[in-house]
Amino acid sequence: MTVAATPAPPSRLRAIRWRTVVDRVLVLIVLIAVWQIGTWWVGIYWLSSPWATAARFVEQTLSGELLRHAGYTLWEAAAGTLIAGLPAVLLPFLLRRHPVMVAILDPFMIGGYGAPKLAFAPLFLLWFGIGLESKIALAASVVFFIVYFATLAGVRALDLRLVQMAQIAGASEWHIARHIVMPGAVPNIFAGFRIAVPYAIAAAVIAELISSNRGLGYLVQTGAMNFDTTSVFAAIAAATLLVLAANGLMSALEAMLLRWRPPIQSMMET
Amino acid sequence: MSAATLLEVRKLGKRFAQRQGREPSPWVIQDLSFSVRDGEFLTIVGPSGAGKSTLLNIIAQIDTATAGEIVFNGASVTTRDPRALKPGFDRRIGYVTQDDNLLPWRSTLDNVLFALEVQARLNDETRARAEMLIRAVGLAGFERYYPHELSGGMRKRTALIRTLVYDPPVILMDEPFAAVDAQTRTQLQADLLKLWDLGRKTIIFVTHDITEAIALGDRALVLSKQPSRIAAEHAIPIPRPRNVKDIFALEGFAATYEKIRADVQ
Repeated sequence: MTVAATPAPPSRLRAIRWRTVVDRVLVLIVLIAVWQIGTWWVGIYWLSSPWATAARFVEQTLSGELLRHAGYTLWEAAAGTLIAGLPAVLLPFLLRRHPVMVAILDPFMIGGYGAPKLAFAPLFLLWFGIGLESKIALAASVVFFIVYFATLAGVRALDLRLVQMAQIAGASEWHIARHIVMPGAVPNIFAGFRIAVPYAIAAAVIAELISSNRGLGYLVQTGAMNFDTTSVFAAIAAATLLVLAANGLMSALEAMLLRWRPPIQSMMET
Repeated sequence: MSAATLLEVRKLGKRFAQRQGREPSPWVIQDLSFSVRDGEFLTIVGPSGAGKSTLLNIIAQIDTATAGEIVFNGASVTTRDPRALKPGFDRRIGYVTQDDNLLPWRSTLDNVLFALEVQARLNDETRARAEMLIRAVGLAGFERYYPHELSGGMRKRTALIRTLVYDPPVILMDEPFAAVDAQTRTQLQADLLKLWDLGRKTIIFVTHDITEAIALGDRALVLSKQPSRIAAEHAIPIPRPRNVKDIFALEGFAATYEKIRADVQ
């Protein structure tokens, strides 16, 4: 770049942002309309209507029931994300100087990444019981491999010229890991968590579905058993909102940590 | 200017490792010798592909030599083992590369302070020096900007003072101003001479631009095509301080230019 980047004028940016909000509302209206038509088509017994779902959602939220169950699911997904996310981020850093180790581990990691983790749910239930632990284990097993590969890609994309510059300036291995490799890998680590966290929430819900006495998956399961599709949809809506909220939180964190990135680049990714 | 030799390159040779099933790789550098005095501004002119960057990489100890040696302060510092290399030779050799290599996640100020930070030399005195350098190159007010918010010339200035701030005795410069427009380049050259006047570091400045070599240097070496060796040496008789913007008009410029151009293949 030979000239200073000139950001778009704020008025235009604001216009784009408003346009996006309006268009999103339009898409939402279309989706709800399709849903409503579907309800008319097959009957409210099989497919609950948007209105009934919204009413149930509000009712269950006000009674605290939905929040309580969503809280369990959130806790399981968050614990799984943390327990697996930390080693998944650290491992590629520790292995950075040991490419042979990475090569040895590679087929196992790819195997772990590719294995259908949800099929492990019955096993985890067997091992860890029907409490929170089995759900945390399933969420963790999903998060670990996604974050590991994302971080590994970030560590590998390291710009060696920056490392040489730092070495010449007198940087130690630790300085290089801390000041060059780490900040350079942060965008990839975020990309990994952005994919992993919705999966973690989904994994928790599905484990609850199989066997549980609490959580959003449990609500889905009992709703379906009672032919109460309204409750099923209300629980699914809650799980979806959980994913959206987690995503929003990560966007905010990312915007804060990646202030240094050119705006065009970050705008394309959000 | 003191006459003591600070750095000497003796019969340096470099060829890259042979690839399997190929011809033996040619010598990039062969029998190349020169020396730099303490406080001297030496410029090295050579055509593209003459191994200029390779030469500086060997001196900066980020690459090994195949033959010959580098002598720093009277002691040989050459090694053939890539793992024994000491990049920057314990902070005694600074290196301003062709690309600015600024850390994109650090502001201008934090990029300038980077070396001091990793050398654990960050204190009031060194901070004041960093601020002085930032002001000297006209970056005051841009301390909090990230590299992507700066112009090409500003990035070059940041890269320049990032090395100057920790005061290595020798600074290598590899066509640092090649990628900017002509007007900015002249301004950067003037800035560099102003900064050099403050400290009179030993500088080895590599360029393919004869005018630049004359404008900046006390002495200019001309490299031959591959395998590169010293083809000629020219003292630059233009007194300092020099006005880089009017360098063409200064006495001695035209004659020196003609002599160097005749030697550059």
